[in-house]
Amino acid sequence: MKKKLLSILLSTTMVVSLAACGGADKKSETTASSDTAETSQTTETTETTDAAETAESTEETAEATEETAEAASDYKVEDLYITVDGTLTANVDNGQDAFVEQWEAAIAEKLGYEVKLHINQPEHSGYKDNVAQLLTTGTPGDGQYPDALIMSATMLKQYQTTGILWNMADAYDNAEFQSRITLPLINENLKLSNGEQYGFAPTYGNGCVTYVKQSWLDEAGLKADDIKTFDDYYNMLKAFTKDGKTGVIAAGFSKLDEAPYINYMPEFWQGAYPAIYQKDGQWVDGFQEQATVDALGRLAQGYADGVIDKDTEEASTKTAREKWFSNDQTTSEGVFTYWAGTWLRTLTDNLDKNDVDTDLGDDRLVQLAPIKEIKDTWGGYLNREAPVWVITDDGDGDNSREQAIFDVLLETMLDGDKVQTLWTYGAEDVHWSTKAESFTTNPDDPEKKKDYEYADGEFHLKQSPNDPNAVWKKNLIDPVLVIAPLTNGFVDSDPLVDAGNKFFTENCVDAPAAASSETLTEIEADLATDKTTLVNEVVAGQKTPEDAIAEYQSKWGDTIATILEELNAAE
Amino acid sequence: MGKTQKVTSTGQVINKKPLKTRIWNNRGFYLMFLPIFIYVLIVSYWPMLGIRYSFYDYTLKKIEFVGFKHFNKMFSDAEFWRAFINTLELSVAKLLITTFTAVIVSVFINEMANLFAKKVLQTVIYLPHFMSWTVTAAIFTLFLSTSSTGFVNETLKNWGWITESIDFMHDTKLWRSVYYLVNIWKETGWGTVIFLATLAGINPELYEAADIDGATRLQKIWYVTVPELANTIIIVLILNLAKVLNLFESVFVMYNNRVFEVSDVISTYIYRKTFLTAVPNYGYTTAVGLFKSLVGCFLVVICNRASKKIRGRGII
Repeated sequence: MKKKLLSILLSTTMVVSLAACGGADKKSETTASSDTAETSQTTETTETTDAAETAESTEETAEATEETAEAASDYKVEDLYITVDGTLTANVDNGQDAFVEQWEAAIAEKLGYEVKLHINQPEHSGYKDNVAQLLTTGTPGDGQYPDALIMSATMLKQYQTTGILWNMADAYDNAEFQSRITLPLINENLKLSNGEQYGFAPTYGNGCVTYVKQSWLDEAGLKADDIKTFDDYYNMLKAFTKDGKTGVIAAGFSKLDEAPYINYMPEFWQGAYPAIYQKDGQWVDGFQEQATVDALGRLAQGYADGVIDKDTEEASTKTAREKWFSNDQTTSEGVFTYWAGTWLRTLTDNLDKNDVDTDLGDDRLVQLAPIKEIKDTWGGYLNREAPVWVITDDGDGDNSREQAIFDVLLETMLDGDKVQTLWTYGAEDVHWSTKAESFTTNPDDPEKKKDYEYADGEFHLKQSPNDPNAVWKKNLIDPVLVIAPLTNGFVDSDPLVDAGNKFFTENCVDAPAAASSETLTEIEADLATDKTTLVNEVVAGQKTPEDAIAEYQSKWGDTIATILEELNAAE
Repeated sequence: MGKTQKVTSTGQVINKKPLKTRIWNNRGFYLMFLPIFIYVLIVSYWPMLGIRYSFYDYTLKKIEFVGFKHFNKMFSDAEFWRAFINTLELSVAKLLITTFTAVIVSVFINEMANLFAKKVLQTVIYLPHFMSWTVTAAIFTLFLSTSSTGFVNETLKNWGWITESIDFMHDTKLWRSVYYLVNIWKETGWGTVIFLATLAGINPELYEAADIDGATRLQKIWYVTVPELANTIIIVLILNLAKVLNLFESVFVMYNNRVFEVSDVISTYIYRKTFLTAVPNYGYTTAVGLFKSLVGCFLVVICNRASKKIRGRGII
């Protein structure tokens, strides 16, 4: 009898514990006015059941929510889930807690109610894949699914046809910050021909410029001003390539899954554009053009001659730049094409940190003007399409949730004041301050030691939270790229950054707009994989450029023709 | 339902009680079994309902029944067949190579007279097994790199054996050899455990008899050790054959798009189509997964039969 009792007890315990494990209910993350709340709850329940049923119930829900549309302004976001890439520099190791706390306080003060901000920041290089997983496997309100997130221009083009993003055209047009926008075209260009707008860019795109180490130029007896053509550039790389040193490194010979594809090795790609783009008003496939064949030939030659670092093929941007500014310059490279403006300061500081060319100070790097072949084709370095913020659509046919997210997140992001300062410089007294203070970076190194002193009321950036020997630079929004500047007078002026930004804006042209079509979205990943494979094979000498393009045409020719038809028909 | 009778081979008659009675009589055990039964239903069988999506278009936009569309697409996709064939080739070759290397190393260790050296060697060759595949791949990629930091290429160059670096990780002719070598390095030690246990159980009288017959050391290995190991080798091969389609991690961390032709396997194919596509169609990848599972089931049944014939008992 005792055994029976014990077995019953054990069984009951296990069943109850199993039921308890599976019984956790999804918690509603947002609330609304009473009518909307009911609708929201209905939607949430249906989302947890079979998705096929959801489609049916969505229609009913949509009808119900039409009645509540007027209550949109009453909708309150209580928990805001955002997903961001590595461009939010106030990450968990760099004062993100303070940033979130101050953002929540500023929003409460501004809107009159509290919003809890949840930031999901996946690893930067895997961001695109991570977002794909989040969006395809999650549902709004599940605690992981983002209410809003950052997307590159390419990602936006892929997702804007899927129905999961919210058309924010009206919200954008009616936003308070409209009167302060100095670069209206950045977002106007994001609008589709039917007026729909699925992304919002708080800054312009920026692009890459070619940096050359001054000391390497000096050693080779060269001057940057004399590098005017590809031959000059190539000879410079050859002069740099000796005794383990190499001419140039990049993160891949091209980045075929991310527009503008050619910006890390523009001198080799020149006028080629290995993707679908608009040329003379018609959509064409640049990968099949002679310019691409020629570019592949140049890359293969560069690889064979050893002027392109062998690590280029597999290197991530992080790996490439760390090798470039590493302490061990005997296996490094002389040239690196990377982001303009703020990155000029970051690269210089990293060289400094690694004791490279200390005597040259802020003159360590020379920005190379676009070579003749780039000027004659594109006209300059490419200014990429700006990364954007998007808001996810919960598909209930009611805009109140989405409008509320826009108001809380994007409207305030460019308020010109407190919230914009948070997104631009980070948290007060953590990343920046207006209080009188003095600090010293590298206090133990007489050569690098630098004193900073600020008076009360003077805006200044502080030491980085995770590196007291470096001064903080910016948070998510680059103040030199923003489309609506701060109105509170908080400006961090760094001559080097200003010079970098000026150089880029004087030498850039807008990159071609990314293509968007249903068929292209379906095959884009496979296409990028195949093109990358072919490019790598050509560069490694396994195939000729002509054979690679022929192989590409035989596999993808028909599909590309269909895509081009779709795109040109839509024009 | 009345009582049923069963007669054993020795002629003994067993009266079998009705099922309901038997359940009632053993209700304590059945009750104890119930949680496990529920657990298996929830954890193992309920998710299998997802198999139905292989007959659906399942994307961000829609869930729509499409019948056998995905299977037709899959069977007409050259990339899928390439992955399928690669899976079989890589798995079987890997299985044979690592098993036989483990046998050779086991015999070697067994022949070692110095107990200390034997123990040290065993420990050293076991260690790589405990290293994650990510770390293993990183070490070998660095080791075999074509850049100036690649140890192997730099050494070969310094010895004057080569003038140009060999791109081990990106050459379709070399990648599989590297893959097998890394597998041998990582898994041979662990593979020896079962063979060393078998070797320890060989009757010493067999070796004594061989000594009396004047057998040399090699003859003793060939005529005593190897035949004694044969049964274990076959069992290990059979048990592992059922798992040949489950090849993912080791390939995933070592392959790259230039060697897809010889390295892409079904699991990496599914991974790419599911997670590296901006708007994946889960219906398609579920169909590929289902096909893989069916082939896996078939292999398990074959191995079960083979095991029954050789060992007298199955593996399931």
